[in-house]
Amino acid sequence: MQGAAHLYDGRSAARHAVEVALSREQQALVITGDGLEAPLVWPLQDLRELHDHADDDQLILTRHLETEDESLRDTARLVVEDPEMVAWLRRTRPRLTRRDLREGTWRRVALRAGGALAAVLLMIFVILPALAGTLSRLIPVEKEIAFGRGVKAQIERVFGATEAGALDCSAPEGVAALERMVTRLTEGQEIGYPLEVSVIDHKMMNAFAVPGGHIVVMRGLLEGAGDPDMVAAVLAHEIGHVVHRDPTRNALRTAGSVGLLGLLFGDFTGGAATVLLAERMISASYSQDAEAEADAFAFDMLRGAGLPPSALGDMFERFREEYGDVDGPMAHFASHPRLTDRIAAAGAASSGDSPHRPALSTDAWRALQDICDNQVNTRDAD
Amino acid sequence: MDDGNFGHGEYTGEGKALFWLALRTGCLTLLTLGIYRFWGKTRIRRYIWSAARLEGSRFEYTGTGLEKFLGFLLAVVFLAVYLGLIQILLFWFGMTIFAEPQSPEQALAQGAGFSLSAVALLPFIFFAIYRARRYKMARTRWRGIRFGMEKAAWGYALRALGYWALTLLSLGLLTPLMTFRLEKYMADRSWFGTARFVQEGRWTALYGCMRQIFVALALLACGGLSIALGKVVLAVLLLPVGAVWLVIGVISYRVQSFAYLSRHKMLGRKVAFHAHPRTQTVIGTYVLGALLLGLGLSVATGVFGGIVAFALSGLDFETTGPGFQPGMIPPVLITAAGYLMTLIAARAGALALITQPILKHYVTTLTVINLTALADIRQRAADTGADAEGFADALDIGGAI
Repeated sequence: MQGAAHLYDGRSAARHAVEVALSREQQALVITGDGLEAPLVWPLQDLRELHDHADDDQLILTRHLETEDESLRDTARLVVEDPEMVAWLRRTRPRLTRRDLREGTWRRVALRAGGALAAVLLMIFVILPALAGTLSRLIPVEKEIAFGRGVKAQIERVFGATEAGALDCSAPEGVAALERMVTRLTEGQEIGYPLEVSVIDHKMMNAFAVPGGHIVVMRGLLEGAGDPDMVAAVLAHEIGHVVHRDPTRNALRTAGSVGLLGLLFGDFTGGAATVLLAERMISASYSQDAEAEADAFAFDMLRGAGLPPSALGDMFERFREEYGDVDGPMAHFASHPRLTDRIAAAGAASSGDSPHRPALSTDAWRALQDICDNQVNTRDAD
Repeated sequence: MDDGNFGHGEYTGEGKALFWLALRTGCLTLLTLGIYRFWGKTRIRRYIWSAARLEGSRFEYTGTGLEKFLGFLLAVVFLAVYLGLIQILLFWFGMTIFAEPQSPEQALAQGAGFSLSAVALLPFIFFAIYRARRYKMARTRWRGIRFGMEKAAWGYALRALGYWALTLLSLGLLTPLMTFRLEKYMADRSWFGTARFVQEGRWTALYGCMRQIFVALALLACGGLSIALGKVVLAVLLLPVGAVWLVIGVISYRVQSFAYLSRHKMLGRKVAFHAHPRTQTVIGTYVLGALLLGLGLSVATGVFGGIVAFALSGLDFETTGPGFQPGMIPPVLITAAGYLMTLIAARAGALALITQPILKHYVTTLTVINLTALADIRQRAADTGADAEGFADALDIGGAI
């Protein structure tokens, strides 16, 4: 097997026409040419080809060599265009396509990947949450309240409000009843924020807290709760979020980690989806912890106000009837712990059913449930 | 082919081969949640580089996917800490300094404050641009001889910040100065083997390349004037034409400034270049490619969508209650997979129908003068390239190839 080829010797940008033949022992290629001082001998098992070559009729060979280069390859190149030689080489040299890795490559990869992973995990699970906690304590209360007002306005817009405050329910007796409930819960407690509780006219059975001590209850929750104790329990839970500064901390932490995740997963098709998924999982684990702690706070607050912690469990039962529970793998993405677990925790916190003064009188409770009757505009059809 | 001392660039890459390569690497990237993208990009570069030829010898890309991956991991460690801290601090500053926005302008300012993190990244972005070009040069060879670029990324970042500031302050009039000086900085530090590149020429000559932009701006100004004078019909004619002309003008500037800068480069004081790319070919290729791509994608999605709909028509979608049901998984997965496959095919198609033909045009309109001087050039030492454009990968800089 022999033929003509071209050689780039890797020392100068000259193109040498050469003759290629097999050595006498058939163990190496011997390359001879006018421009070469001495014939080159390349052992057959060291031959490697260049991958992803745009020209199918051409085979560019080089030699495996232990160098400091990016790949373990000789700088010389042999360009073979003789079809018979190309066919022979492809057929008889299976090592042609081998990729040789430098010794210790796997260790280097593991080290760097481990380092990168450690840095990212440290940031997401240690540094950013701690920083978020510290920074949230450093925000002046007025600024936080102002920020919370902006957040509330945004959420209201999602629920169909045409302007800030458009969905607020303001029947005077209902507002008074609500204030009485809040006072009962917070009597003698140091909240640290001027608490503001309001009701918005929406059929969803839910309540939430925004940064700065503002709690929003939705009309659907007032209608779905069986008695005022359950509403008080939900309020106590949301006050827990306020005291722990959860909304602000979460906003800060998310701001930090979203940029980070975009860095890791950006720039490929499907990257945006992966970032969203990862962010959901991370938020989920935080908020599940925060929810469990808000539950614990609620139990203490209810007990302090002379109300049964089991009222919170009763409210969760209503949620479960209405919305079902989240089970299985989706539980990792849910922002709240499983309702079943929370109901069990509420049951464990109650020390028997002792008689107690209900959170509101029957009249006050009816007034609260009718708090939205003064709304003429955006009441949505059920 | 070659006239003794002249060598024209040649390009033999095919759209079909590149499309299938990009499709394969795109699917593998998706399956590995993005990890394969470093190897995929490397393979595409190897194909494109080896498709280009000068005086019978093809170019070679010697970068490896592993290098790129390791470089990216290094960049992640630095940027994770820097970015995470910057984002959270800026968000906090935004909350403490800005009160509730009383007006749309204040809300805008607050939003701008929150996005200040982009500015914090600017030095890194310019650093990454230089490093990315340096890596590509260091991993390119012709006839076995390496190209290379000196280590000067922070100098580039500093100058880029300065020239961008100048350009913004001059409302874009000093753009040619920025284009010329930044290209000169990079070119003067570029090498082929033992021969150094030098960028010659004058930056004021680039104003000639801005001709179409000036025409467009004049049209837009006339349109604005006619609105002020109450001639609405004239404005309706002038403004859209001016806007489109502006886009064409920007493309024309990029193409012709590349041509001017290439024509005035010297290699080793002996080798010169000539370049004559045509703006209309570039724009035409882009428009035609985009049309073909759109056509091909709509046909493909129509066909596959029809098949999927037919296959799913037998399934029962009755959900027994609110919330998530296991029965929802197959259609959701299939829809998601179909959407992602369409995106992958679109990217591969853009590479094959738009990027490669334009590249081919640039390569085939390039001529190297005094080829015999090239044979005297010797090999240069290898460049380790610690971060292998990892910062560019992490910051999503770097374009299609």
